[in-house]
Amino acid sequence: MATVEVPYQETVPLHHPKTWIGKYIFSQDHKIIAVQYGITAMAVGLVALILSEFMRLQIAFPGWEFMNFFTADHYYQAITMHGMIMVIYLLTAFLLGAFGNFCVPLMCGARDMVFPFVNMLSYWVYLLSVIILMISYFVPGGPTGAGWTLYPPQTITAGTPGFDWGIATMLISLAVFIVAFTMGGLNYITTILQARTRGLTLMRMPLTVWGIFIATFLGLIAFPALFVSAVMMLLDNFLGTSFFMPAVVSLGQKLDYSGGQPLLFQHLFWFFGHPEVYIVALPAFGVISDLISVHARKNIFGYRMMVWAIVAIGALSLIVWAHHMYVAGMHPSFGFFFATTTLIIAVPTALKVYNWILTLWRANIRITVPMLFALAFVLTFIVGGITGLFLGNVIIDIPLSDTYFVVAHFHMVMGVSPILAIFGGIYHWYPKLTGRMLNDTIGRIHFYFTFIGTYAIYFPMHYLGFIGVPRRYYETGISEFYPIAAHNLNKFITIAALIVGISQVLFIYNLVHSYFKGKKAPANPWGANSLEWCTPETPPRHGNWEDRLPTVHRWAYDFGVPGEEKDHIPQTVPRRKAN
Amino acid sequence: MTDTTLSTQESIFTSTARDWSSDMSTFKGVPWGKAMMWIFLLSDTFIFTCFLVGYMVMRMTVTEPWPVASEVFALTVWGVSVPLLLIAIMTFILITSSGTMAMAVNMGYQRRKWAVFWLMVATAALGASFVGMQCFEWTKLILERVRPWYNPMGAPQFGSIFFMVTGFHGLHVSVGVAYLLIVATRVVRGKYDHTNFEIVEITGLYWHFVDLVWVFIFAFFYLW
Amino acid sequence: MRIAYIAIILFLVTLGSVVFNFTTPFHFDAIGSNWNLIDITVYITFVVCGIVFVVLGLLMAWWVYKFQYQEGKFAEYEPENAKLESRLTIITTIGVVVMLAPGLVAWNDYINPPSDAYELEVYSKQWNWMYRFPGADGIFGAAHNKYVNLDNPFGMKPGDPYGEDDILITNKTVKIPVDRPVKVLLRSQDVLHDFWVPAIRAKMDAVPGMVTYFWFEPIVERVYEVLCAELCGRNHFNMRGEMHVVSMDEYSTWLNDQVTWAGLQAGAVPLSPEAATGRDIANEKGCFACHSDDGRQLATGPTWLDIWGGTVELIDGTTRERDEAYIVKSILDPHAEIVLGYTPTMTAIELTDEELQSILDYMKVLKSEPAKTAIEDEQDASNTLPEGESTSEPTEEPVTD
Repeated sequence: MATVEVPYQETVPLHHPKTWIGKYIFSQDHKIIAVQYGITAMAVGLVALILSEFMRLQIAFPGWEFMNFFTADHYYQAITMHGMIMVIYLLTAFLLGAFGNFCVPLMCGARDMVFPFVNMLSYWVYLLSVIILMISYFVPGGPTGAGWTLYPPQTITAGTPGFDWGIATMLISLAVFIVAFTMGGLNYITTILQARTRGLTLMRMPLTVWGIFIATFLGLIAFPALFVSAVMMLLDNFLGTSFFMPAVVSLGQKLDYSGGQPLLFQHLFWFFGHPEVYIVALPAFGVISDLISVHARKNIFGYRMMVWAIVAIGALSLIVWAHHMYVAGMHPSFGFFFATTTLIIAVPTALKVYNWILTLWRANIRITVPMLFALAFVLTFIVGGITGLFLGNVIIDIPLSDTYFVVAHFHMVMGVSPILAIFGGIYHWYPKLTGRMLNDTIGRIHFYFTFIGTYAIYFPMHYLGFIGVPRRYYETGISEFYPIAAHNLNKFITIAALIVGISQVLFIYNLVHSYFKGKKAPANPWGANSLEWCTPETPPRHGNWEDRLPTVHRWAYDFGVPGEEKDHIPQTVPRRKAN
Repeated sequence: MTDTTLSTQESIFTSTARDWSSDMSTFKGVPWGKAMMWIFLLSDTFIFTCFLVGYMVMRMTVTEPWPVASEVFALTVWGVSVPLLLIAIMTFILITSSGTMAMAVNMGYQRRKWAVFWLMVATAALGASFVGMQCFEWTKLILERVRPWYNPMGAPQFGSIFFMVTGFHGLHVSVGVAYLLIVATRVVRGKYDHTNFEIVEITGLYWHFVDLVWVFIFAFFYLW
Repeated sequence: MRIAYIAIILFLVTLGSVVFNFTTPFHFDAIGSNWNLIDITVYITFVVCGIVFVVLGLLMAWWVYKFQYQEGKFAEYEPENAKLESRLTIITTIGVVVMLAPGLVAWNDYINPPSDAYELEVYSKQWNWMYRFPGADGIFGAAHNKYVNLDNPFGMKPGDPYGEDDILITNKTVKIPVDRPVKVLLRSQDVLHDFWVPAIRAKMDAVPGMVTYFWFEPIVERVYEVLCAELCGRNHFNMRGEMHVVSMDEYSTWLNDQVTWAGLQAGAVPLSPEAATGRDIANEKGCFACHSDDGRQLATGPTWLDIWGGTVELIDGTTRERDEAYIVKSILDPHAEIVLGYTPTMTAIELTDEELQSILDYMKVLKSEPAKTAIEDEQDASNTLPEGESTSEPTEEPVTD
């Protein structure tokens, strides 16, 4: 090519809003949108957290007078809403909506997303989906209590709370969320592919961007399955079609359905549901890789391997979905295939863990708050990953599925771990976002409560699964498989959960307090290399950069390069001429 | 001879590799909107794939008889029952509209705005007539007492899946018609004068996609 | 150098997890079936994963402790080490194969029942277990949810000759012989359920519209609790059953005492019109999901047999006369007075006055002692069988709630 390529964003003027509302409410600035996503996700996550505390209290103290108002219906509605909110409206929205929006343009050296208006729309549609979800608490019958997996026929038969209105609001909310996600996701991918700055090749991108990139891609492929199943279920519910509904007799009444396939829903749901795990996990992987490298003052070990592992995990995650259905009654031969693919996925995942730990070797580790969260993530992720090897192996899944082992496993791997990554990311990027540092002491206290607390919740919970405590039981009563000691363990877990829940107040206080009173942050407090730390201003203004976009000369992990003065070299520093 | 073919082949690989390992943009010279539309269509493909997979599962598992396509979708013209007549016309119309769309794209790159306008309007008109014929077909089936929840000829899933999938496709076509008209008007109003009129091509991508999806629906619903 | 507390914490957490694992009593309980291979696979996975966990956890703690920040120190610059990475890949792959191989072998056994396995059908509905044996001919009669009604709880296809001798057990308890492989066929009347006995290890979902299966061979004579492992609505947690693994003799005696489909049909006695209306309304309102009308004690709600009259002990310790006022109140406002031993899971049912009256009419005729005519299927069926049969549970159990 003869002509020299110029980043397109450099050639078009940026439209700056004049009004306050244009700047901070209907803002098209990716940073503001990130904050909006983050705050909404945290608010709705708080609702889910409170629901989970009620569930824990019910499990540990059944029959306690204080909990009398909390009937089985409430319990099942709580597990459903807790699960759905945490997975979709908190984790997906936070990791892709908040981190995706904040990190992608800054780390790619772009002024903004490629289509800021669509990006803004994405947030408002997301907010709409959250509002529709919350409306389900005010419709007749309350929200659906079908469990977050929404398996038919149960979801739309009378034995389940919220089987008519609750499920409708849930499904509509999900469909609206998918629209929001698609608008955001198209932006992230196009920005990463087409709007990088000078010198930023794909293999120089920070791993956070890689994680978000592949996760978004997975989302765009996987969410359609959820969308389709939501549409079909809505039709089953309101038009009386029989997609998922065979002939059933529900509580004595013959329903007017025949010939539907409950398993079709499960296949569609998990074709979305399994990639969803990685939609949450991959950005977390990326964030953690960056955090560990920056705070250990050492390059991430095996960058290329890390990238290919992300890609491989993403690709494999599309062909493992039925490992959620080993006991669902699908054709038994599928078990061989899905067990094998599932365990193959363990290899790239394990490599990522090795590489994080190898990055610590002969590093120069700064024990900062983000680093604490990153280290804790690695440990909880190891536990979650190896328990996944139990459940992925079809025959071991038979006794363990639908027990607390499963609950403990997925909370460890996609509850605690991504939340720790989110916390780590917030502590890491808050100075850049607001221009102020978070309080270090409160951060450390918050960390120890969160990490040790959640570990104390979920590690012992695996063993409840071994003795056979089934999940989704409002009350277990005295049963042969359920000794008194297990009841005590349950009480212990509940107390730990309460402590963890309450300690989050510290975090919120820290966020708010530091915003006004925190120490002024330098431009690059952690000594990091990636582009977001090279902005001319902190916090970066609308448009992020000067007239000329930054030029990238190296990868983001040049820490401790021998013969250099400083232990880190930002991406914008030119390479030295060959000596 | 062999040398040249080899070298062209190589250059495809090397140029792809070069683009993917380059900075700034991966697809060189591709406008953002076009890249975004491609990615959106990829996502949309999965929606239709899921619908069609659902259809196949239904079709293969229901025990009640499935109506015979050539009889259900037959039209009686002058006393003769012609199987699939309406569908053949609909398919023909939609494929024709893809042709006019392609011509509009071509005119766009020649910056002939009025030609673009009229060709896009023609495309939209063909699309609208497609939707109209679909309405006719729906009415016919409804008059034959086919409902989403009921089908006098056997499996109720026939009605469910037919109305759902063709409805969803029809929705796509209707959205496409609106999209075409908006873009056509904005073209003649000069909104895109500062660009290369790639918006016409982007609209065209969407339209061709809708057309392509119809081919699959046609094959699965009417020929199976 | 500052002490890195996190290194100590990581060390303690890793060590603590191992200690917890070895000291906790919470592991698989004693196995009650042939599925040793499952336990062995779990054990292998435990060993492999445990080693990985300990090694990685301790390495992390040690390195965090050892390589703490020192001003001016540079970390070692080593972007890549292809040799190390490929070695790690190979080791991991070997580990995965070691875990996967026995799992797949066991799965192959799991999905192929031995040819000498006899069949038992578990028919589940919200929120009860029912069982069916193929009877003398060894072949199950055809059945479908569309045939289900109050007098045909299993949905037996009318007129199917194979079905006549099928043995139907509407009680939640099933007995099976020890040391005989059994292929469990699962059907569901309404939603997904999952027949599960933890000590047997095996489980499978029951899916409406399908027949699913699994097999096992019980090796210990014992009473097992049956759980539902797939969320099936608001009373999911109360959906319990019992599986008695007994000697062959006891099993045969028990099985001979059970009613067949033919017997059930022969024994059906018409109700008075008012009571029959009440029964139909109660069925339509879903009452029989949680209440039996033949004296079977369901975990979810008290039986209606003999519900008229007597006293009950409430959850707050008081005793209450069970008169009409009390029963009406319990139907319309179920959470007002909860009987000891039950959880408040009943939802208020909307009933017109006539409907309520019909249900009350039906309840009134549900007496175990005198009014034989009005009583449910099994009991009537038992009339047609030899004298020993009358020990079916309704009559002999003192009525409690």
